[in-house]
Amino acid sequence: MKLNLFEDKQIKEEHVDVYYANMRPMIRQLIDVVNSERPSLIGRPADEDLDDGEGIVLDPKEIYYLDYVERKLFAYTEEGVYRIMKTLAECEELLWNYGFVRVSKSDVVNVFKIRQLKPDFNMKVYAYFDNGERICVNRSYKKEFDEYLQRIRRMQ
Amino acid sequence: MMKNYVKKVALGLCISYTAVSVTGAITNVFAGWETNNANVLIMFGFCLIASIVLSFYEMFTNVSPLAMMVFQYLLACGLCAVLLLCVSMIEPISARGWFEYYRSFSIPYVILAGIYYYSIYLDTKKKNAMIKEIQQANDEVQS
Repeated sequence: MKLNLFEDKQIKEEHVDVYYANMRPMIRQLIDVVNSERPSLIGRPADEDLDDGEGIVLDPKEIYYLDYVERKLFAYTEEGVYRIMKTLAECEELLWNYGFVRVSKSDVVNVFKIRQLKPDFNMKVYAYFDNGERICVNRSYKKEFDEYLQRIRRMQ
Repeated sequence: MMKNYVKKVALGLCISYTAVSVTGAITNVFAGWETNNANVLIMFGFCLIASIVLSFYEMFTNVSPLAMMVFQYLLACGLCAVLLLCVSMIEPISARGWFEYYRSFSIPYVILAGIYYYSIYLDTKKKNAMIKEIQQANDEVQS
């Protein structure tokens, strides 16, 4: 994408003009940044006491997947596991344009972080990530997952 | 809800029975085998049982497809046994007859299970290619 920057000391209101052919995820991300709505998740290290730990801002790009276990939501990154104080549905909606899609009742995965999809001997399909973890792509969510991949591909 | 379910099962029954009848007719033409009305009705009964058992698919989304197939096969075998017991009260079925009926039911089931497994493999391969394409396009945009 071509980037033009213009410095003008006389300007009264700074502004950004975006020329685009298609409303791709990248363009949406730019809009979010300008509107200061770029989603970021606040996470606390999962192995620390929530009251003592300090919140860490997580970049969605760094998250492999979100897992909802025992009424708690966890984000898995290369650095570690963080507890997120939001619901899975909220995160799914928030990160929809950032490559995140629901693959089961309790998991939302980042398609940009999937290393490989692989069917197991028992015919379940798993998404494998670079951290060695795997998440099952439930058959009930297969249609949504397929549609999401098609949509992302079309938009790019 | 019930209406939709009946519609779905009826559609499955129509498709499966048509496939079984046409395959049976073609086999009879080439192999010269003969069949009778009782066999045709039992085949229809098998198709009905298979359609109903397979319609339970959505109840097993949390278990593996393999476990689901084995469970459905055993359930279908049990229901077929009940059907054959009922039929044998009207017309006795020999041990060979029982074997033939189960073979007629099991062979298509195993073949279709294999086709299903292969379709999962192909679908996963296609999706892997799509994910790689999406990731590459995203990397290019990011850089």
